[in-house]
Amino acid sequence: MVALARKTLVYEWRRFLPAILAVGFAGLLQLLQAALVLGIFSSASVYITGSSADLWIGYPGTQSVSLGRPIDPDVEMRLRMDPAVARVEPFYWVDADWRGAHDTGGESVYVTGIDARADGLMFSQALPPALRERLAEPDAVIVDRADVDKLGVTVGDTAVINGHRVRVVGESSGLRALGGVNVVTSLDTARQLDNDPTDLGRPTYLLARLHDPAQADAVAARLRGDKGFGPYDVWTARTFARRSVLYWMLDTGAGAGVVFLAGIVFLVGAVITSQTLMAAVAGSVREYATLNALGVGVGNLRWVVLEQAFWVGAIGLLGATVLGFLLLVAARSQDVPVVLNIPITLLCVVLAMALAAVSGLVAMRSLRRADPASLLR
Amino acid sequence: MSRPAPVTATATVGPALRAEGIAKAFVSGKVRTQVLDGLTLSIEAGELTLISGPSGCGKSTLLAILSGLQKVDAGRVIALGSELGGLDSRALERFRLLHTGFVFQGFNLFPALTGLEQVELPLHYLGLSGRQARERATQSLDEVGMTPRMHLRPSELSGGEKQRVAIARALAKQPELLFADEPTSALDAANGQTIIDILHRIARTHGTTVLCVSHDPRLIRHADRVLSMEDGRILSDRRPAPPAATPEGTAP
Repeated sequence: MVALARKTLVYEWRRFLPAILAVGFAGLLQLLQAALVLGIFSSASVYITGSSADLWIGYPGTQSVSLGRPIDPDVEMRLRMDPAVARVEPFYWVDADWRGAHDTGGESVYVTGIDARADGLMFSQALPPALRERLAEPDAVIVDRADVDKLGVTVGDTAVINGHRVRVVGESSGLRALGGVNVVTSLDTARQLDNDPTDLGRPTYLLARLHDPAQADAVAARLRGDKGFGPYDVWTARTFARRSVLYWMLDTGAGAGVVFLAGIVFLVGAVITSQTLMAAVAGSVREYATLNALGVGVGNLRWVVLEQAFWVGAIGLLGATVLGFLLLVAARSQDVPVVLNIPITLLCVVLAMALAAVSGLVAMRSLRRADPASLLR
Repeated sequence: MSRPAPVTATATVGPALRAEGIAKAFVSGKVRTQVLDGLTLSIEAGELTLISGPSGCGKSTLLAILSGLQKVDAGRVIALGSELGGLDSRALERFRLLHTGFVFQGFNLFPALTGLEQVELPLHYLGLSGRQARERATQSLDEVGMTPRMHLRPSELSGGEKQRVAIARALAKQPELLFADEPTSALDAANGQTIIDILHRIARTHGTTVLCVSHDPRLIRHADRVLSMEDGRILSDRRPAPPAATPEGTAP
């Protein structure tokens, strides 16, 4: 088969370039937008994704990690009684006020008190063991690399949290918080910093690791029913992470914003692409008409146009992928939060190809002018 | 394509094309122009028939109607035994695919394709395999003397060469009917002469009914039959003496 669509595209690439660029940039915009939004809002779940717990136990109805309330420490007993549970550890969340060594004024911080042992579950992926170890000394805190300027400290400096003196012993990376600043401490230090009398040293969450992580859903369902230890609920790590991200995305209206912008990008891309394809079809309309005179059906000619649209989409996407990859790498290196997952990437690819297909369908209309009778003068 | 010239055989079957009382008018705004009015005509198989006449005399419209590219207002057209008026657009496309070839004044070649690809392209839609299409295309190009240049794109070919590729494209389908609209008017004398010879040879050797519309007087000597048109009517129908046929008729 003579690949008319492809050969024309290669031979007259200048004619198709605007369409390729339109699809490419539309795809790139969608992709980067999704990566940014995912990146920003996935920091809402960094506490979960950066840890290795299978189950999270917290106050019923908690919509995001940052909104936890203390639960009864005895729930830990209930968890340990379950044979599926391998390990349980508490996690403290304290909203606190920070005063840095240099004059940066007050800053509201999230103090996260974690089990600082080398094999602790909390932040097991976000903090390397050597860094965790440093939390063992009293009043030691770790701040994120991205926040040091905001907090006005460097490693070794002292600062004041809720009236208690603390010392910065290290810098983490990738623990940037949404709407605040994360400060990591040991469980003991966190208890000391918590000056809310109603908390009474009660943990905000309990983290559990299971012998078989695949059983997480079943174990969560089993543990959830027990009301004997006061109010608590059990979520799998994946559910709770999702819940936290969705809360922020919907709460801030960012979700609707993304969809709206994606729609506009799609529209603009489709207009440019279809116009370019139409011009390309119009440029070959006499040749198409000749083929029709020779008996090649209009349906077959439409297929050629659609195939052209497909190639335009594929080449555009290829460019977008390369460029997008470079941009994401650049963003990562500058601590810009960008996250991409396979479903979202696939969605962007599907959207870009749909854009090309819609443009191809629109461009088919130009074939109406390919009337072979018009070739006879 | 070494089919022996079946000129006499097909001629006895009857006309390849027949128009009976056809009428066609074009309306542009409030002006209605009657181009053809009650025209009746038979075109014999295996002949090169030339329709000549001044521009605007309706010869191109007649060609469009006889080839099934345009519908008539009245009358009927019978091509190879089928009445074209009874076919819907899809059936007409099918009819054209199987039975007709076209050569236009503008060569209408795809800029991106080589000569060989131009000729192969319609053959795939006939359902031929890649190899068969390649073989037939090569043969056709050889017949119009384009073998040495068949891998060139239109931008690298002269006008005459382009028209020869266009003829090969029409010829490769092995059509019973070949329609040519002013095939030589964009060409210089030498190239025009080559094209005329090729068209004539196609009628002779393949038994193809070649219907050619032209005001080019050079063609008249080569035609088996010349119809002169004016104002939508046929003024004369004559068969020139056949000196052209014998010296140039290629032996099969």
